[in-house]
Amino acid sequence: MQLGFLVDLHLCMGCKGCEIACKVENEVPLSTWRLRVKYVDVGTFPETKRTFTPLRCNHCENAPCERICPVSALHYLENGIVNIDKERCIGCAGCVMACPYGAIYIDPQTQTADKCTYCAHRVASSMMPACVVACPVQANIFGDLEDPTSNISKYIQVNQSNIQVRKPEKGTNPHHFYVNGGNVALNPLASHRIEGHSLFNKITTLPVGGHH
Amino acid sequence: MAHEILAATNAVVTLDVALPGIVWPWLVTVNMWAKSIGTGVILMLFMLIRMHPDSVKNLRLPTAVVAFIFINIFLLFTLADLHQPFRMWHIFVYSSFSSAIAWGSLMATVFLGLLVILAFLAYKKNNETFDKVLVWTTILAIPVTLYTAALMAQCTARELWQMPTEAAQMILAATLSGSAAMILLGGSKLSDEAKNTLGVVLGLSALMAFIIYMSEYIFGPMKAEEVAAVLDYIKGDGPYAVMFWLGQWIAYLLPMLLILLSRASKSESILKLAAILALVGLAIVKHVWLMIPQLLPMS
Ligand code: SF4
Ligand code: SF4
Repeated sequence: MQLGFLVDLHLCMGCKGCEIACKVENEVPLSTWRLRVKYVDVGTFPETKRTFTPLRCNHCENAPCERICPVSALHYLENGIVNIDKERCIGCAGCVMACPYGAIYIDPQTQTADKCTYCAHRVASSMMPACVVACPVQANIFGDLEDPTSNISKYIQVNQSNIQVRKPEKGTNPHHFYVNGGNVALNPLASHRIEGHSLFNKITTLPVGGHH
Repeated sequence: MAHEILAATNAVVTLDVALPGIVWPWLVTVNMWAKSIGTGVILMLFMLIRMHPDSVKNLRLPTAVVAFIFINIFLLFTLADLHQPFRMWHIFVYSSFSSAIAWGSLMATVFLGLLVILAFLAYKKNNETFDKVLVWTTILAIPVTLYTAALMAQCTARELWQMPTEAAQMILAATLSGSAAMILLGGSKLSDEAKNTLGVVLGLSALMAFIIYMSEYIFGPMKAEEVAAVLDYIKGDGPYAVMFWLGQWIAYLLPMLLILLSRASKSESILKLAAILALVGLAIVKHVWLMIPQLLPMS
């Protein structure tokens, strides 16, 4: 079994339901996120368009975070999930430095690394990840990539000419795919990030783990 | 590619979470700096014993003590940087050998043990055994100083840090700071020949390190757009541009010039000034190189 995710960006409407569901399900502390939806505006008024991209851990097949962890706190489960053992983590932040997707954070409450686990605890009880359940338009598709009859495999078959992963050049082999994603949605270098400007706040950076 | 379409798309992030700040802060700079000195003085002592044995008769104990102190500073700052410092022992019990951190911690611990033995042997004036143990300590000093390069290379997210260049820079940092520390430590106890040798090592290390940094500065952006974006932080009015050049001048250019001057004038004070500048400048250079890849948004 190899669990994977796929997000159809054509369906996503940026409601952030998945983001909130994840926060609640995993009790993700303030100032940290396992899953977030990024908005990027393209074009010049009045010819503008807004893109929405849910971003989470890619559960890479060749995960730099797992490789750099000195104590195997980050480890693979048999179903392909890259999981974390917070009791073992020493908080060296090597994984935060290694992940090319900014998917890991230091939990300010436990001072250990944490990230999306594809809701491994729910999956173990045959439930879908919380974000999948919350999505009102079924933009999040989750399932076994090794089973050709699973929803995710079928989706990939149908859209095979239009499947993307983030930063393929890093050689991480993500198990997280996007359909209808462009450079602007998936590559952070393809958009401006103007200091202090976002829709609702002016906070651009937060200290890692709440200190240092 | 991404950069070129920016003008056409005018793509702007309008809603996102705050980005993480600096992940590895100045504590890691001190870690690298102190480790370079701790391993560098051992490399230099080994060289001097072979090339100028008379000069180093009284330097065995001070060198072992200085190396011991700086390796302890290195370990202390490594510990201080952990978010869970009291779990440090997990590294030894649950070691994952795919990680440069695990290898580095184990090797540094053995290295520290060898330094204690060296200090004890020097104190007992048992030079023969000291020199035998020093061979193994010198051999181990090389991977101990290199492991940080491997760690940086394992940071897949930070394209700027590539193993071949970082490995060279780590070794050069050790020879630069090691020779500088030995010049200050040995002072007038060193013969003119020994001072000359250390001056040459310092000058050449500075030259090589400077060439590598300049190569990355000029040619790095031609290979990867992520490297280009990171190097923008030290170019033009980038936030680390002043600090970068300050570091290059203090660590490399000025010491090179001062060493030439000290050779011409046979002045020990000028040589010592070069050594002090190299040590101060190295910390600045290391800090800039550690910070800039962390400024780039990863997602
Ligand atoms: S996306 Fe990042 S955190 Fe997730 S498996 Fe890959 S490297 Fe690790
Ligand atoms: S912060 Fe924790 S999970 Fe991350 S590499 Fe260090 S020990 Fe491993």
